[in-house]
Amino acid sequence: MTKLLDKPFKAFTIYALIILLVSIPIYFLVVDWIWLTEIDDHHEIAMERIEDRFKEAYLSGQELDTILNSWNMLQPSSYIVPLTGTIARPDSIYEVTKYNKYEQESDRFRGLQTVIEIDRKYYLLNIETNVEEAYETIFAIGLVTVVLYGLLVFGFIQLNRKISKAVWKPFEITLSKLKSFDLSKNQEVTFEQTDIEEFDELNTTVSRLIAENIIAYNQQKAFVANASHELQTPIALLKSKLDLLLQDEKLNATQSELVNAIQIPLARLTRVNKNLLLLARIENSTYSDVEEVDFSEKVAKSEELLQDYLMEKLLTVKKIGHSICHFECSKFLAETLINNLLSNAIRHTTQNGEIIMEWSKNGFSFKNSGKEALSQDSLFKRFSISTTETTNSGLGLAIVKEICRQNGWEIRYRFENSFHNFSIAFQKF
Amino acid sequence: MKILIIEDEKELASDIVKFLAEEDYRCETAGDFATAKEKVSLYQYDCILLDLMLPGGDGFEILAHLRSQNKQDGVIIISAKNTLEDKIKGLNIGADDYLAKPFHHSELAARIHSVIRRKQFDHLNLITQNEIRIDLLSKTVQIAENPIILTKKEYDLLLFFIGNKNRVLSKSALAEHLSGDLADMFDSHDFVYAHVKNLKKKLNEQNYGGYLKTIYGTGYKWGI
Repeated sequence: MTKLLDKPFKAFTIYALIILLVSIPIYFLVVDWIWLTEIDDHHEIAMERIEDRFKEAYLSGQELDTILNSWNMLQPSSYIVPLTGTIARPDSIYEVTKYNKYEQESDRFRGLQTVIEIDRKYYLLNIETNVEEAYETIFAIGLVTVVLYGLLVFGFIQLNRKISKAVWKPFEITLSKLKSFDLSKNQEVTFEQTDIEEFDELNTTVSRLIAENIIAYNQQKAFVANASHELQTPIALLKSKLDLLLQDEKLNATQSELVNAIQIPLARLTRVNKNLLLLARIENSTYSDVEEVDFSEKVAKSEELLQDYLMEKLLTVKKIGHSICHFECSKFLAETLINNLLSNAIRHTTQNGEIIMEWSKNGFSFKNSGKEALSQDSLFKRFSISTTETTNSGLGLAIVKEICRQNGWEIRYRFENSFHNFSIAFQKF
Repeated sequence: MKILIIEDEKELASDIVKFLAEEDYRCETAGDFATAKEKVSLYQYDCILLDLMLPGGDGFEILAHLRSQNKQDGVIIISAKNTLEDKIKGLNIGADDYLAKPFHHSELAARIHSVIRRKQFDHLNLITQNEIRIDLLSKTVQIAENPIILTKKEYDLLLFFIGNKNRVLSKSALAEHLSGDLADMFDSHDFVYAHVKNLKKKLNEQNYGGYLKTIYGTGYKWGI
């Protein structure tokens, strides 16, 4: 994943690189052209000036020869020689590379060759100027370009960093608030004011979305609580009528079996409803009866309560205390948690299976033998079906999870060595 | 024996009346707060069954009113609000017991028995039924002067049976009595068989009257 600002940054850098690379030959051509044009102009002017000066000097043939001799000997960049033969040759501009003995290297020269008339005689005038070598120009331009490109990229990086820090700050704040948002915690989310239109819009939209979600969530919670509350009376009446029916002496065997068969789904209905109410109550209450709970003590109590069910399935129970396990929790929640985990283990262990309870000062775990791993995703959700067994109310683990959430503990499920392992850590794993 | 059933759900109240009718109880009902308050002020009952959520008022107020008048009627709260806070509050104000709805009538009958027993000072600690004598203080059982040793669960079951004589008791009612709230976490209550079987065996060894009968497909009955 790339950061949002890195995308244009990359494009900008590549674009700048292309433009600067293209600029190198363009600069060279432009500089070279200006240079040569200037030199040619200069040669033109020099030529006209030489011609005019010789004309105005009115030199005799002898004088002229002497002057031309010394001119040709002393002038470094030009010479004048008398022309014989055809004089009908045009001005020519040429470039030549020749050895420069003063610089001990080959240099590029730009020259102008023309015919001038002095005292009705024709002479050949040649002017040459040393021009910078093409590769030297390109090298200089290239060097400057590279340095400039470096500065440009460095600037981009710095600006990018600065902009992303400043401009994206409201976004980061919004994001971190959303990350820590937990619908079930019933917390309000307020976003900071921002002067960037897009972020302001984002914040408004997200706020509205959250507010709507909270309302829907609360309505749903209230609905579940109300529905299960309303179900209590009919369930109580059903149970009551069945009890009365059972006492009827005229009841024959088939009928009493039917009554008994009704008791089983009724018990399940009672259980589901009771657990729904319990879950709603845990979600909605703050528990003030917090006390120091000794895990081994509670687990012994729970084991005693469930002794009959343990014996019925001939389960082996192992208890391993690595160190004393004390924690602060509501007594009611602690008992509910442990009872739920232990009865869950009992329910899902087959005959002659094994249950291991382990605890240390950091947490505790319940393990029970099993065949295959349960689905991690749906395990703690309400009414999720993780096994084919029907006795499950589908709420036991949801209650366990809710109690853990209330206490800020973490619960984790693993399947290892043919054991289902539910472990609870007081601090994050 | 007089029992007042304060319960706004008329059906449930009349079911309780029917269930308890076989014993020598005289049941009265009150369906709302005002009637209930009037009745508890005017008369004395051996046991009052008190629902907490009543039309016109809170059941706790009736309890508080009763105790403020120094009346010692036995009170069992029967409430759908199965919360620990309510339970503690009720017992603190002076309720003798707390039973969460929905309940088996047999459980209620056993609780009423126990409350009334505690209120009667003359044979407070002793239940006698023909050759069976139960000492509630020392939790010992004798059959024709011969002591028998029962486990805690067997002892609980015996009391439950005697408190529900001549009634058919389903397995689930027995399991709920033994395991309380936790019973409804399980569908199978086969362990009840084992406890009843052991109890029966121990009673038979001392040649009791064979009151405990298995009702096929349904449960058990302590028939006298």
